[in-house]
Amino acid sequence: MIPEIGQFALALALAIALVQSVLPILGASRGDLVWMRSARTSALAQLLFIGIAFAALMRSFMVSDFTVANVVENSHSLKPMLFKIAGTWGSHEGSLLLWVLILAAFGAGVALLGTNIPDALKARTLSVQAWISTGFLSFLLLTSNPFERVFPPPPDGNDLNPLLQDVGLAMHPPLLYFGYVGFSIVFSFAVAALLEGRVDAAWARWVRPWTLAAWMSLTAGIALGSWWAYYELGWGGWWFWDPVENVSFMPWLLGTALLHSAIVTEKRDAFKSWTILLAILTFSLSLLGTFIVRSGLLTSVHAFAVDPERGLYILGLLGLSIGGSLALYAWRAPSMEGGGLFAPISREGGLLINNLLLVVATGTVLVGTLYPLFTEALADQKISVGPPFFNASFIPIMLPLLAIMAVGPLLSWKRADLKGVFQRLRFVALMSGLAALAVWYLTEGGPALAYLSIAIATWLLLATLREWATRIRLFDVPFAQAVRRARNLPRAAHGMTLAHAGLAVAVFGFVGSSAWKSEKIVFVQSGAVTEIAGFDVRFDGVQRVQGPNYVADRGTLVVTRDGAPVTTLYPERRFYPVAQSTTTESAIRSTLAGDLYASLAEPAAEGAAQSGAWTLRILYEPLVNFIWIGAALLVLGGGLSLSDRRLRVGAPRRATIPKPQATPAE
Amino acid sequence: MLWIVFAFLALLAAGFLLLPLRSFGSKVSDRTDGSVSILSDQLQEVDADAERGLISPEEARAARIEIKRRILSQERKGQHAEPARQGRPASIVVWATALAVPVAAGALYLQLGSPDMPSIAFAEREAERNQQVEIAGLTERLLERLQSDPGGGPTEGWMLLGQTYMRMGRYRDAVSAMENVTGRPDASSAILSQYAEALIAADDGIVTPAAREAIGRARDMDPSNPAATYYEAIALDQAGDGAEAHDLLIARLDAANGPAPWMEAFVAQANSIGETLGREPVSLAAFAPTAGGDTPGPTAGDVAAAADMSEDDRAAFIRSMVERLAERLRDDPDDLDGWMRLGNAYRVLGEAAKAREAYLTANRLAETLPPDDPRAQEIRQAMSELPG
Repeated sequence: MIPEIGQFALALALAIALVQSVLPILGASRGDLVWMRSARTSALAQLLFIGIAFAALMRSFMVSDFTVANVVENSHSLKPMLFKIAGTWGSHEGSLLLWVLILAAFGAGVALLGTNIPDALKARTLSVQAWISTGFLSFLLLTSNPFERVFPPPPDGNDLNPLLQDVGLAMHPPLLYFGYVGFSIVFSFAVAALLEGRVDAAWARWVRPWTLAAWMSLTAGIALGSWWAYYELGWGGWWFWDPVENVSFMPWLLGTALLHSAIVTEKRDAFKSWTILLAILTFSLSLLGTFIVRSGLLTSVHAFAVDPERGLYILGLLGLSIGGSLALYAWRAPSMEGGGLFAPISREGGLLINNLLLVVATGTVLVGTLYPLFTEALADQKISVGPPFFNASFIPIMLPLLAIMAVGPLLSWKRADLKGVFQRLRFVALMSGLAALAVWYLTEGGPALAYLSIAIATWLLLATLREWATRIRLFDVPFAQAVRRARNLPRAAHGMTLAHAGLAVAVFGFVGSSAWKSEKIVFVQSGAVTEIAGFDVRFDGVQRVQGPNYVADRGTLVVTRDGAPVTTLYPERRFYPVAQSTTTESAIRSTLAGDLYASLAEPAAEGAAQSGAWTLRILYEPLVNFIWIGAALLVLGGGLSLSDRRLRVGAPRRATIPKPQATPAE
Repeated sequence: MLWIVFAFLALLAAGFLLLPLRSFGSKVSDRTDGSVSILSDQLQEVDADAERGLISPEEARAARIEIKRRILSQERKGQHAEPARQGRPASIVVWATALAVPVAAGALYLQLGSPDMPSIAFAEREAERNQQVEIAGLTERLLERLQSDPGGGPTEGWMLLGQTYMRMGRYRDAVSAMENVTGRPDASSAILSQYAEALIAADDGIVTPAAREAIGRARDMDPSNPAATYYEAIALDQAGDGAEAHDLLIARLDAANGPAPWMEAFVAQANSIGETLGREPVSLAAFAPTAGGDTPGPTAGDVAAAADMSEDDRAAFIRSMVERLAERLRDDPDDLDGWMRLGNAYRVLGEAAKAREAYLTANRLAETLPPDDPRAQEIRQAMSELPG
């Protein structure tokens, strides 16, 4: 009975979404209040019914109801409860249900929390949101019904994928989807503004919290995904420029640009048309990501062509929403009036460069991701675009961005005094150069780009802190007064400092763990000692151990440094008999300075396990944890900014009055 | 129960859609007012920032001028919303959608849903699993007995074991059980075709040379054996000789006298092969005009009535139908199909003793059947599946 309730609730949600697509927007153009207000209740009802459907599916997974085909395919009665629950969104159907659930949640959020948004704008926004909802709910019900039934039920489920039995991965899709789909409401706001023909500071103020919320969860989702890959895959890498990673990274890049351009719209009434375009493009990239991941296009273009029903449906939705919104943009955007003027050297100018660089970076990733798909489809040639392409094209765009990012917050609105800014940053520049020299002295060489990156990351970190210190006049006034000033500072300002500093911290991690990574793959017998990054790693053989639903070969590695014991590592290879598959559990000694990472590869040859010979992969990755610390700071900064109920005001500087002591804007 | 929940959900949806009617008579919040209020908030913010010393008085002055200029331009544009238009036609539309949504959702649900299907949690299927364990134990014991039999074990015993393995999906075990008897002089055509079936199942549907040989022997003994004919056609089709496979199936269908359960599979297979050959599809009715059964079953009205009942009522209803069938069979005891249906009905209701009785009667009647009639096989199979 429960699955059928879910099915019916989903059908109701689709019918409600259809009503919500039409009635409020008609009401907005006719000036009919009741119709406009219907957006609010329909949005809440949609969330309620999709929520019921999701709960029904989750319950079927929790009790292992094998009369539901989706449960049979994606669960097993022996799975631990946490992973039964995570199985709800593990499949194609379930993940799409989660997708529409989050879509409805953002719609209901605006309905419930956006009390200060004018009726007409809210009605139009929620109608647009319902168009997306209608598209995906019909896709779900017509091509990927999650409540397909089987009778009689098979004895047990089919899936026990051990690789997916990881907490990080279980939480990854919901977070990523929250970010992905969260940009839908920003898109809806943008399309509604185009329909209304009005974008101004107020519009940007109403959209701000939604952009921030989506950006934060996307940041967290991407970071969690990379953390999972690092711990679980056993390769010691944290980013592979894999298409699945790229499709979540692109909306992040554009979303970051959007976040900054919306500030200009809110504070200075400028960049309006550009902000709208970014809102449309960011969600378009989210849709593209959904399409690429969900259509099976990634596995093979030809597999997609064989069973194209689902893929074509999403492709149609994609074309309709991207094409439609861009056409609307081309039609309405020119009529939007320009806002505040600004000189090239100004906060606005800095943010413009930030936006341009981020868009170019997004384009680079897009080309690298789609190019192999095109060559396979058109020329029947399988090529892979890997890290070398991305490292060569993406990093040269990001380094100037980071360098400018340090200066941007110090520039004042409308027109700024660049010379004064550089004067204030003299000390920071000196320190950055020293940092690069210090690293050069400490390391036994490395690529020049790495030293440059260290200098730039230091520059960004110190300039960000410097800017914050100036704002609260730290060192200029008595400490107690500085603390008071810090408390008076808008939370959004603290948020910006945290996020920018977080990025700098993460860059240290990126550079340290890739430029100065030591890696050894050795063929070892019991007693063999391997030297890596100053550590001596002794292999003490492998034992067979029994886990709850697996058997493992557990290696023992005794780590010493200059004869002094450091730690003992136990990397494992686990074999899951039910799933007939093997996973690698790497053992990691994690410190702030770096991770010593060991994983046990397959026995080198047939029968080698009996003779005690194994292939061992040992890595030392300096500073790698800075990546996740930095990501956490980014999310925290976003959260602080989101919690700021105050308004953003960009106070312009008067050009006519020269100032002996430059005070930062705002 | 399910329909009550559905009705509740539908009412809830309709209620949500009717809620906006409450906002009749309230004022539309205006876009220009909204912008102006945000801008005047910005003004206050500037004052506060200036007071706290976060911005200089100069900056504050410039900011105030700019914001005030924006407020003025908003006011000048002044696209204030017209007073809300509301009235009867608007509320009629709202009522119509509140009605249409449950109807549309119901129609969609009837397309997609399976309202009669129960949901069964894994934990509730203890009995079923126990039964499987029990069957596995019984087969184990049967295997031991047959293996320890100095005479090699009776042919029927090995075949029963093989068939049980087949039903459990253990095709390799089925093959090795049946192998014990395929070489014996009493290996009939039916035994050999079952053996071939096991071999084919074990190889994921591929007709191996060993299976082909068994099929050949089965057909030598009894050229009309439907199972052997069917697998011969499959073998021919897999060897690339679709036309011959198709001819063979049609010829056997033509030769059949009267309707038989195997004919449906033949027709489906012939049509699937025929489609690639571009031949006209055939229909079951062409070969078995009386197929479809002449014994009265539940009428359409009965079925519709059953769909509307609660679980308990439905069980009682089914029971009354079964009793009607049992009564009719007392008057007409030679109806083999009727007894088989009755046995099956009792089995579903969980009354093993009565089911056995019905099947035993059916079995007696089946003794007069021609040897290739699959119904005899079906009865034996059903009896072996009964618990106890």
